Amino acid sequence: MERSRDDFVIAVRSAFLIKGNQQRFSILSLILFSIIFLVLGNFNFKIINYTKILIRDVIYSASFVATIPENFIKRSYNNMVGHYEHYGEYKKIKSELDNLKKKDLSKQIITFENIQLKKVIDDYFIKSNETFAKVLIDKRSPFLKSIVLNKGSKNGIKIGMIVLDDSYLIGKVVEVNYLTSRVLLVSDINSKVPVSIEPIGIQAIMSGTGKQNGVLQYIDVETIENNSEDLLVVTSGAGSIFNSGIPIGKINKKVDLNNGQIFINFYKDFTQLKYVKVSSNKKIGSEQSIKKEFQLNNKQIATINSQKESFEILRQQKNIVDEVRAIIEKENSALKNKLIELGLKLRIAENKKINQPDQEEIKFLRLNLLYAHKCRKNILNQLHKVGTPKYKACVLNKGKKND
Amino acid sequence: MINTNSGIKLFLYKYTPMILLFTSILNEIDFNNLGLKYFSFNFSYILIFYYSLRRTESLGYIYIFIAGLFNDVMVGVPIGTSSLSYLLLCAATAYLRNITLRPNIIKDWIFFLITISFLNFISFIVLMLIFEYEVSYFDQIINITFTFLLYLVFSYLFNFYDNFLLGKMNVR
Repeated sequence: MERSRDDFVIAVRSAFLIKGNQQRFSILSLILFSIIFLVLGNFNFKIINYTKILIRDVIYSASFVATIPENFIKRSYNNMVGHYEHYGEYKKIKSELDNLKKKDLSKQIITFENIQLKKVIDDYFIKSNETFAKVLIDKRSPFLKSIVLNKGSKNGIKIGMIVLDDSYLIGKVVEVNYLTSRVLLVSDINSKVPVSIEPIGIQAIMSGTGKQNGVLQYIDVETIENNSEDLLVVTSGAGSIFNSGIPIGKINKKVDLNNGQIFINFYKDFTQLKYVKVSSNKKIGSEQSIKKEFQLNNKQIATINSQKESFEILRQQKNIVDEVRAIIEKENSALKNKLIELGLKLRIAENKKINQPDQEEIKFLRLNLLYAHKCRKNILNQLHKVGTPKYKACVLNKGKKND
Repeated sequence: MINTNSGIKLFLYKYTPMILLFTSILNEIDFNNLGLKYFSFNFSYILIFYYSLRRTESLGYIYIFIAGLFNDVMVGVPIGTSSLSYLLLCAATAYLRNITLRPNIIKDWIFFLITISFLNFISFIVLMLIFEYEVSYFDQIINITFTFLLYLVFSYLFNFYDNFLLGKMNVR
């Protein structure tokens, strides 16, 4: 037991300390160097940073030179394949160009409208500074997804700048050297981008997966599941790292909703990047005149709002008055009907009243013919004078005397 | 003519491991670029383990250290991480060489698995806990598995290549 432990110690000591044939350093000393590098790298000393920048620039340049033959072969192969696919691509591109030309006008209008609306809601203005860079190295590590560009601090590149291919977001600058810079792609597992899902307008965080897609975090899957269309993923602008509305990818509902995770298909193939656009967005405040204009607009908006409220009240009052008038009109028409009915009744009654004396008169006249001589006054008798009520009563009484 | 050929063969025999190591680190081409979803392996580990076990003199420790620095810069991880892993791999092979009387490929293979698991654990700890990098466990496991499986294939290839050169040179 004692002996085997001794053997182990001797073997380990020999492995770490003894220099082999043609070895100038022992493993232990080099391991210590590595640890020193690691520890110093963790501190933000100026000298160490400059040394790191120098090492990186040298290695990137060396790597670029080393990859020239490989790139030549790759380019030749791509050219060959490209020639074969040229005609089909040409037709496809032509039709796409036609479509894009049609869309361009509407896009310009939308952009203009967008600017106007941003002015209205007092949004900030983005001043964009763009630099084009070539992808020097596209080292596809299984763990870290990044590319190296041929522009560095010499060309005004700064940490945090966003990197676009066409108008699609591909990553942000995470390391800047004098001549080169490194871009962390959005597909990297360490990449977190605040996004907005359109057209439903849900906010989320997109993280890379280390593969050719991304995954949404901090989002309820059910909100997406209920939607039947493909969804677009664009930057939301939250956190002011990326400006809003930069397209990243899309969510294909049928394919990408798996195991409760929402996957995003990027628009761009990150393995085919050649030239990219590095963009910095400067947030600038509104100028004084614009601010005054905004204040004036705000006042006008407030006045319009108050007028709108007054108008609303008046409109409500009018509604009430209309309702009252309608009720009164209804009552009025009912009363009119009643009045007409009463008028009719009255006329009927009057007619009855008129008709009744006529019959009495007829009766009187008829009896007058028969009994006039019995009631009329003459020289011989002392009866009644014609036309007097007594005469009429006498006729109606058929000449008989009541008393 | 024969001497020139032998000189070239000797040069290739001597410097192929180092050329391969630096080429694999500096170049964009490696087998991780096949586009397969669940496939990745660490060619440098295989190369360093094989040659520092079989031919210690072919890969100097200082070159391995520099190669590690290059790899860190290329991949974008903190400088020193890969160097530490590579040198620990060399230490493991030196230890294996010291305790081995009769070399056996299967024993080497098993030892390789243990070593790369340990090295990945170390680099994982360094990246996650010290530098707060997010690393996928699943990718790490896939990488270890394929590196382990492909060690046998590459060891046969390297062995074949060395024998081919040695046979042509007739120096064995």
